[in-house]
Amino acid sequence: MIQVLFFGPVAERIGKRQIDVDFHPGLRWQDIYGELRAHHHEAFALVSVVAVNGKRVDEQDDTLLTDGAEVVFMSAFSGG
Amino acid sequence: MADAVRLQREDFSLDEEVAALRALSPRVGGIATFLGCARDFSENRAVREISFDAYESMALAELQTLRTTAIAQFGLIEARLVHRLGTVQAGDNIVLIATAAEHRAPALDACRWLIDELKARVPIWKKEITPEGDVWVTPHP
Repeated sequence: MIQVLFFGPVAERIGKRQIDVDFHPGLRWQDIYGELRAHHHEAFALVSVVAVNGKRVDEQDDTLLTDGAEVVFMSAFSGG
Repeated sequence: MADAVRLQREDFSLDEEVAALRALSPRVGGIATFLGCARDFSENRAVREISFDAYESMALAELQTLRTTAIAQFGLIEARLVHRLGTVQAGDNIVLIATAAEHRAPALDACRWLIDELKARVPIWKKEITPEGDVWVTPHP
């Protein structure tokens, strides 16, 4: 299982803070992004930062996810 | 003594954070601080409260990385970073950056660098609670 987490304005638009996605070998964060974006277009319009297991990743990052990974789709930060 | 890097719901004391830096070493010659507070007015709206959400584990790790980077990059003796989460009232403290160095220039430069980097790199989001409704804040430069 992959834990997909949401915070702040993205969580508010989705209406939840976590979605669990079934794991299968070869899964990348981009696959999850594409699937969830199709169902939560307004929320994903805000997404500009992605983290896998607490580390930022970019679009070119083709690392395969492992079972139990944590993926977070985030909007631009506004702390401070 | 409290950790140098913290996310916390409760308020913090500027005096206590500065005292912690002063107690570290008699070699401290300058301490710079940035104290971020909750304004009661923003974007032509009265603001009653500000609510913070965070990806806490990553936010804490990023703050710790910022501290160690700043110490190395600016030659600091120490740096302390505290950010509140949950809900704060207008006028309350939000964030504190405190840097200690042998001389003023690195303390001041590091303090400015740290708050700018915190805003860009630490996953925290702020929502202003106003009489007209709640509004997520978009990042300020």
